Amino acid sequence: MTKPLKAAVIGAGAISLQHLPFLQKSEWAELVGVCDLSPVSAEIAARKFGSSGHFTDVATMLEVAQPDIVHVLTPPQSHGALVSMALSAGAHVICEKPMSPTAEEADKLMAEAAAAGLHLIENHNYRFNDEVVALQRVIAEGRIGAVREVDIRLALGIRDEGSRFADTNVVNSIHGMPAGVLHDFITHLSYLMLDLAGVRHFERVIAAMSNHGGGDLFTFDDLDALLISTNDPESGPETDAVPVHGRMRFSCRTSPDLFSIVVRGEDGQAATDIFHPFLDVMVARPGGEQLTPIVNHLVNGTSLARSGMRNFGRKLLQHTPYHGLERFLDQTYAAIATDRQPPVTADHVLDAARLVDQIVTAGSAGSGANR
Amino acid sequence: MSKIFVTGATGFLGRHVVNQAAAAGHEVVALVRPSSSARVLAPAEQTGNLTIACGDLSSRAGLTEAMTGVDAIVHLAAVKGGDYFSRFAGTVIGTENVLACATEAGVSNLVAISTFSVYDYGERKANTLFDESFPVIQDPTGRDEYAETKLYQDELYQRFADLTGNRMVMIRPGMIYGENELWHPLLGGEFGPINLRVGFKVRPPITYVENTAEAIVLATAVLLDPASAESVDDEVINVVDDDLPTNAEYAKRVSALIDAPSSVPVPLPIMQGVAKVGAFINRRAFEGRAKLPSIALPDQVDARFKPFRYSNEKAKRLLGWTPRYSLDEALARSTAPDERAAPTADSTADSTATATA
Repeated sequence: MTKPLKAAVIGAGAISLQHLPFLQKSEWAELVGVCDLSPVSAEIAARKFGSSGHFTDVATMLEVAQPDIVHVLTPPQSHGALVSMALSAGAHVICEKPMSPTAEEADKLMAEAAAAGLHLIENHNYRFNDEVVALQRVIAEGRIGAVREVDIRLALGIRDEGSRFADTNVVNSIHGMPAGVLHDFITHLSYLMLDLAGVRHFERVIAAMSNHGGGDLFTFDDLDALLISTNDPESGPETDAVPVHGRMRFSCRTSPDLFSIVVRGEDGQAATDIFHPFLDVMVARPGGEQLTPIVNHLVNGTSLARSGMRNFGRKLLQHTPYHGLERFLDQTYAAIATDRQPPVTADHVLDAARLVDQIVTAGSAGSGANR
Repeated sequence: MSKIFVTGATGFLGRHVVNQAAAAGHEVVALVRPSSSARVLAPAEQTGNLTIACGDLSSRAGLTEAMTGVDAIVHLAAVKGGDYFSRFAGTVIGTENVLACATEAGVSNLVAISTFSVYDYGERKANTLFDESFPVIQDPTGRDEYAETKLYQDELYQRFADLTGNRMVMIRPGMIYGENELWHPLLGGEFGPINLRVGFKVRPPITYVENTAEAIVLATAVLLDPASAESVDDEVINVVDDDLPTNAEYAKRVSALIDAPSSVPVPLPIMQGVAKVGAFINRRAFEGRAKLPSIALPDQVDARFKPFRYSNEKAKRLLGWTPRYSLDEALARSTAPDERAAPTADSTADSTATATA
């Protein structure tokens, strides 16, 4: 085991409660600082999670605590300046999504990191969830053949009473991003889409972002996007030159909350849901064309029943949809500590940022947004 | 009379504090969130002693200005629902903002509202005297987010009180009940589809909301009177009513008045035993990672149901308070609130005397 990496956190808000438990217990990390503009937030987070220091000023923390890695967990508009400060202080950076409002800014920050010989990593936590890992395995094993379509649908009650996005007393800063609240989720949808489709770029993006609920608080509350990759050799090193279609939906008008993913290949399809975990694989089964539907139902029915039992245990043991974050952090810290390539690379981050840009640009056109 | 700044002013307790303080002649600045209606403060408005300050404690914007010139802060605001961070932001960061702005505005008197939830119920034997000397939780692990965040809030109160020249009286109400708030977790809890009422002769530390509000208004007056301020400065005062009923009696009375959940009585030792077995299995099999319902956690069971002999002697002695309304009167007022407290169609405190914080 190498020496633990000294870790510091900027921003002790809600998402820090997902990062700090890892930093408290990981053998790869030693928590040396928590910084927040609210002194009591920094102090109590440091106390709860065993940090050796707490600060209200970032520059002071970087100077005093000398972290090897800084987690930037503040509202997105502040990411750029804080990432730059941490990189200038010689620290690798793990930044919450969205790292930047535009791909251009992400490019600039990534260039700064490259020039300093440091890693700048955006949190792509859902790529590391059990269900997504299972889908990746199904694809990698060739069980559904070459991927032709990926559908990702996220439904969240962002306008419901009690939602932090719907609070008119304290307007959530995400409303100020180019896609408004959608910007809080669109990075997840984009990196998952690229990862599961196995492409680095979609040449054609047709998107509609809407504000179906109206009012001045939300710029958009709905996304419908169709993505088509022709697998142009210029856009990436794909080996199977087949077109891939992606469908991306965000809705706050359907319930319950869900995060469903369906991947369709030339030989079958696999489906899961990050919020309601299961794995359903529909492929050609032994017994030929006549028996395949029956075998698929039996196999997937059994799998669904097992998922029900497993999800009860998950609920009991607090294995929440955030569990991928711990795996992401663990693999990232292990890679940096042993001088290997982290699992989320600069290409992953920039490809996702460019796709977000494409969707926002296409989706904003003619939307009549509240701006 | 004095000028006081009240947070949580339109809340279940706050509205009574504001209305009673205004009726007692205090000039009240009530902090109201932009999206909240101040109609429940109509009685205070009618006295001419009310000013509405519009603001939210998650931001310091305008708070200092709204507090400038007041004699005391009566801090009632706290978040009772939501996840840990929502409660932390609303209760702890909110209090940090209130106290920082009070300091900036030169306000040195604080009436701090705490809760019985911060007491450590596992520490003492059942049926012993429960007064202000009762120990407070040292480690909030095992208790709920409400207790944890209120404990941090108490820490901030104490730091404010420790600043030179500042005075604080801390009020800890028991289970506050009143209109629309007659059923309470201290009576029992949901366990799947069943409502369990735990214990047969447990007398929960109930206090009727108007009685509690009166204690707070009296505490404010005592703290602001130079002749008596010393007597309550840096004191913790518990507030519970006289003649506490058993939870069975209370549940029966309440069930006759409202559509209360039907409940199954469970002896306290059985519930304590179940919780201990659950905690043992959780420790041994799951390294304590399993999240069990709060009614099945040993510390929570003690906090909610362990019987004690609650004292309100200190509140009576230092504040000159006696619970004005008996259980009968309180239940009657809760189900048919006093006409004077009801909002009138054309009376909205929002429309007049509004200062924006």
